[in-house]
Amino acid sequence: MSFDLHRPATVTEAVDLAQRFAPTARYVAGGTDTVIQINRKKIDPAHLIDVACLPGMSEITETADAFALGALTKYRSIETHPAFRGNLRVLLEAASVVGGHQVRNIATIGGNIVNASPAADFVPPLLALDASLDITGPKGRRSVALRDFIVGPGRTNLSPVEIVTSIRFTKLPARSATAFLKEGRRRAMEISVVCVAACLTLEASTSRCACVRLAIGAASPKAFRPEQAEGYLIGKPAGNESFAEAGRLAAEASSPISDVRASAGYRRGLVAVMVERALTTCLQRIREQNQ
Amino acid sequence: MSAHTHRVAGHRLPRRDGVGKVTGKHVYAADFKLSGMLYGRVLRSTRAHALIKKIDTSRAAAIAGVRGIITSADIPQIRYGTAVRDTTVFATDRALFIGHAIAAVAATSLEIAERALAAIEVEYEDLPPLFDPEEALKSDIRIHPDWETYKALPIISRNRNIAGQARIRVGDAEAAFAKAHKVYEHRFSTALQHPGYTEPRVATADWDANGIVTVWCNTQLPFDTQTTLAEILDLPAARVRVTVPGIGGGFGGKLRIGVEHFAALLARKTARPVKVMSTSEEELTAALPRQASIVLLKTAVDKEGHLLARSGRIIVDCGAYAGSGPGTAAIALQVMAGPYKTGALAFESVAVYTNKVHSGSFRAPAGPMANFAMECQIDMIAKDLGLDPLEMRLRNVVKEGDPGPSGEIHRSVSIEECLRKAADAIGWHDRNPEPGRGKGIACSWWMTTGGSSGVYVKINPDGSATLVSGAVEIGTGAITGAAQILAEELSLDLTDVNVTGVDTQAAPFDYGAQGSRTTFSVGNACLAAAAELRRQMFELAAEQLEAPIEDMKLQDKHVVAGNKSISIAELARISRLAGGGLIAHGTAISPAPAYDPTRVQNHPLPVWNTPSYHAHAVDLSVDQATGKVTINRYVVAQDVGYAINPTYIEGQIEGGVAQGIGQALSEEIVYQDGRVMNANLTDYKMPTAMDVPEIESIIVECRSAAGPYGAKGVGEPPCIEPPAAIGNAIAAATGCWPNSLPMTAEKIAAAMQVQHS
Ligand SMILES: Cc1cc2nc3c(=O)[nH]c(=O)nc-3n(C[C@H](O)[C@H](O)[C@H](O)COP(=O)(O)OP(=O)(O)OC[C@H]3O[C@@H](n4cnc5c(N)ncnc54)[C@H](O)[C@@H]3O)c2cc1C
Repeated sequence: MSFDLHRPATVTEAVDLAQRFAPTARYVAGGTDTVIQINRKKIDPAHLIDVACLPGMSEITETADAFALGALTKYRSIETHPAFRGNLRVLLEAASVVGGHQVRNIATIGGNIVNASPAADFVPPLLALDASLDITGPKGRRSVALRDFIVGPGRTNLSPVEIVTSIRFTKLPARSATAFLKEGRRRAMEISVVCVAACLTLEASTSRCACVRLAIGAASPKAFRPEQAEGYLIGKPAGNESFAEAGRLAAEASSPISDVRASAGYRRGLVAVMVERALTTCLQRIREQNQ
Repeated sequence: MSAHTHRVAGHRLPRRDGVGKVTGKHVYAADFKLSGMLYGRVLRSTRAHALIKKIDTSRAAAIAGVRGIITSADIPQIRYGTAVRDTTVFATDRALFIGHAIAAVAATSLEIAERALAAIEVEYEDLPPLFDPEEALKSDIRIHPDWETYKALPIISRNRNIAGQARIRVGDAEAAFAKAHKVYEHRFSTALQHPGYTEPRVATADWDANGIVTVWCNTQLPFDTQTTLAEILDLPAARVRVTVPGIGGGFGGKLRIGVEHFAALLARKTARPVKVMSTSEEELTAALPRQASIVLLKTAVDKEGHLLARSGRIIVDCGAYAGSGPGTAAIALQVMAGPYKTGALAFESVAVYTNKVHSGSFRAPAGPMANFAMECQIDMIAKDLGLDPLEMRLRNVVKEGDPGPSGEIHRSVSIEECLRKAADAIGWHDRNPEPGRGKGIACSWWMTTGGSSGVYVKINPDGSATLVSGAVEIGTGAITGAAQILAEELSLDLTDVNVTGVDTQAAPFDYGAQGSRTTFSVGNACLAAAAELRRQMFELAAEQLEAPIEDMKLQDKHVVAGNKSISIAELARISRLAGGGLIAHGTAISPAPAYDPTRVQNHPLPVWNTPSYHAHAVDLSVDQATGKVTINRYVVAQDVGYAINPTYIEGQIEGGVAQGIGQALSEEIVYQDGRVMNANLTDYKMPTAMDVPEIESIIVECRSAAGPYGAKGVGEPPCIEPPAAIGNAIAAATGCWPNSLPMTAEKIAAAMQVQHS
C-alpha cells in the first residue's frame, strides 16, 4: 500500500497524468471509497491523481430550465442548498443520509456515481431525475445518460483516463414532487439495504399520474428504473391503490441478493413498501404545494 | 440526601483524567512509541479446523526489513487460561478457527511485516469442523483431543467438548412442574458481540539490559497480564513489568492477554522494541467477544402468576478456547433466577468448544443473554395469564431478607422501588398509546465482583495527596470516584488528589478494572489508607499542638483540636524532615457472603457479593411493514447504593444502554461456515448517536453494608436489561417476540408475518 500522489491544476493536466500512468493510476476525489478499498486490499494503485481541487467542478449552477452539479459537489453543499428544498427534495433527502457529518463534508457525488456501488445513495435520485453526465477525456468531451453510464456493480462505461466533470438534469414541471427513502440497520453510517427515489408529476387538472420516474438502489446489480411500475401508473389516479400496485410491480422487477445485511426476500418486500411510501410522500408534497 | 453531609463524595465533580482526554493530550497505549521500534503483525489461520503440516517462513525471512519471525516452534510450549489452561500463543499442530494465530513477524514497517505474512507458506490438512454448539455437544469430533491433560481450576467440571458445566438446584423442580397450574417452555438465542472499545488492543514491548521486559499496553488487568506473560515467557513475574499509559475502552474485552505476548516474544527475538496493534479485521475475527448462547427455559406458575419452579439450560459457545466461557455460563444461572422468589430451581450451564473465535467477559458476562430469556418469558407468561407484566413481577420480586439462589440472604433490596420508578417514568398505565407502539419493562440483579485492592497514598509537602493504585482508569471515572472518597476522608478537594498511572513494578496489587468493582474496592482501600494517614497525622499533630488525639479531627485540610490547628501541608513537611513522610498502604477485600454450597455445583462464582437491583423501561414504535424499531424513550432506575459521582453513574447507564441497544437490535458477528462475514466496521453494526435516544437515569440509593459510604457496583448492570426490555416492548407493539438477538427489522417483520398468516 504505497502510491504517489499527484495534484494536477487542470482537468487537462489530470487526464494527461492518468494517461501517463495508466493502468496503475486512479483518480481520487473525497477518497471515502478509494481509501477503504486500498486498505482492504481491493485495489492497489501506484498513482493517485487527486482531482478534489480541480477548478470549476464544485459548483451548483441553475439555469432557466436545468441544474448542473459539479462532480466534486459535496453532500454538505446539497444538504444546505436552498434550491433543493422544493420539488427537488429527493437530492437533499439522499444527501443528508449518506454516512455521517464527516463523510458528507468530504465525499463527492461524482465519486458516488463513478464508484457505482449497487447501494450508492445518490444514484437513484439522479436516475429519477433522468440525469446525464459530462465527461472529459483525451479525445475531448462527451455526454452520457446516467442510466447508460453504470453497467454493473462497480462497473461504468468510463474509461480509466476520463473524468466526470458535471451532472445535469432538467427542472421538473408544475405539479411535481420527489422523495427519497432509505432503509438500513442504523440511522447513520449505513449502507442502504434498499433505497428508493421517486419523482411524480400529476396531470394539470386531475389527480392522475402524468409522469412517474422511480429508481431503486441495492435491490439489483445496479440501481434500476422499474419501467413496468412507472408505465403502469401513467394515467392512473394517484393514490394508495395504484401506488401499492406500483410497489408490487417494482418488487417483481427487482433482483436482490441475500447477504450479511439482509435476505433477498426482505429486500424485495422493502422495495414494494418503500416505492408505495415514496409515491405517497410525493403526492402529499404536490398537494401541499397547491395549498 | 448524602451529598449534603459530604463535601466531595456524592458531588458531580469533573473527572481527574477528563481534560487530558478531551484535549487530546492524554497518551493512550496506541500512541506509545519508542525509538528503533519494530512493527509486529500476526499471521492467522485461513482454515477453521485443520492439521498444520508445515510452516515455511524462509521466503518471508528473506524480505529486506524483516527482523524476526516466530511460530509455535520457537517459543516455550505453555498452555494458559483462567478456568481451563487450554490456550497457546500460536496454533501448535492444529488450527482451531479462522483467525487462529499461526506466526508473528516483526519488521521495520507495518507494510513490510504485512508482505512477510503473505510470504509465509502454511500447509494445512482440513479436519471436520464443528460450528454449532449443540452439535458439538453430540459430536464425536474433539476440538481438543487432549483436553484431559489440560490443567483447570478444580471447581471446573469438563467433558469432551464441554469446557465447563455448572448447576444450581433448589427444592424439587420436577415435583413443582407436575402440580403447577401452567408450565411454559421457550427457547432463546443470542449472538456474538464485540465489546466495541474505540482503541484496538495494542502493546509495545522492550527488554532491558537486566532481562526485564516492559510492556506498555491497554489491558484492564495489568497484574493478570503480568502473571500470564511470565508464564508464557517462562520467567519469574518480577521480570515482567506491565504498564498502562492509557486505555481507550475495554468493556471486558481487554481483561485477558490480547497482543502483549506477541510483542514481548517478538521483542525478545529481535532485541528491539516491538509494537503490535490489532486491525479492525482482527478485532472482529480474533478478539474476545461476548459469547453467543442458547437458553432453554421452563417455568411453572400458579393461577396468580407466582413462580413455582424454573428449570433451564444455557449453552454458551466458547469458541476454540474456554476463555471466560465456563464462568460466564455459570453466572447465567444467577441471572436466570433473577431478583425473584421461586419455589424450586434446576439450572444448568454448559460452556462448549466450537471452531470459532474464543470469547471473553464482555460487560456483565451472561447478564443480557440470560436476562433476555428470563424476562421475556415473564412477559409471555403474564400475557397468557392476562396479567400486567409489571404486576406479575411485583408479585414475585425478592424482599429484604429473602434467600437468593445460592441460599445467601438478599440485603438492601430495592427491586420493587426500581420497578415502580421505571414504570412510572415511562407512563406504564398506558402501554399501547397507539397502534404499532408499545412499552416494555425488564429487571435484574447483578453482583459487585470482589477481589482485593491495595493503594498507597502519600501526602505531599503542599498538602496534596498522591494516590498510587494498580487499578486502571478505564474511562468510567472509577478512579475519580475513589479519589473523591480519599479527598472526602482527608478533608481535601478532589483537585488535591493526584492519580498516578498503573505500573506493576511500583503499584500495589489490584484485582483490576472489571466486574463493577473499581470504585467500590479501590474506594474501600482509600478509606483504609485515609484512616491510617489520619492516625499518622494525629500522632504528629499531638506533639505539635500538645493536644490529645481523641480531640482531633480533620477539617478543611487541617488537623483541628479544639481551638488549635495545624495544616496537613505543615505536618507533611515536618514528617519529611523527621519521619520519612506521610504515607499509607490501604487494602480492601470483600469476603463472599455465606451461602448454601449444596445448592451450587461446579460454579466458579457460587455466590454474589453486594448485589445491585435495577429496572429498565422502554417506549418504542415498530414500523408495521418493515419491522424497523424506533425507540421513543428509555428509562433506567438503578440502585447504586450510594452515588459517589452521579454524573459518571449516568455516563455508565447511558453507555451501557447504548451497548444493550446494539445487542438488542443490530450487533452480531455473523459466521458462515466458520468464516466471519462482517469483519469490518461497515457491516458490524454498533449503534450510532442517531440510534440511541436520550436515556433517562433514575438513581436509586439503597446503601450496602460493604461498599464505601454504602456504594454498590455500577458499571456492568446498565447493559443487562436492554435486550429484554426492548423485546418486551416489541411484543407490546406487535404481539410477537423475536426470540433471537439481534432483533433486526427483518426478524421482526418475519415474526409479524407469521402472526398474520
Ligand atoms: C464511513 C463511510 C460512510 C459512507 N456512507 C455512505 C452512504 O451512506 N451512502 C453512500 O452511497 N455511500 C457511502 N459511503 C461511500 C462514499 O462516501 C460515497 O460513495 C462517496 O460519494 C464517494 O465519493 P468520494 O469523493 O469520496 O470518492 P472517491 O473515493 O474519491 O472516489 C470513488 C471512485 O470514483 C472515482 N472518481 C471520483 N471522482 C471522479 C471524477 N470526478 N471523475 C472520474 N472518476 C472519479 C475514483 O477514481 C474512485 O474510483 C460511505 C463511506 C464511508 C467511508
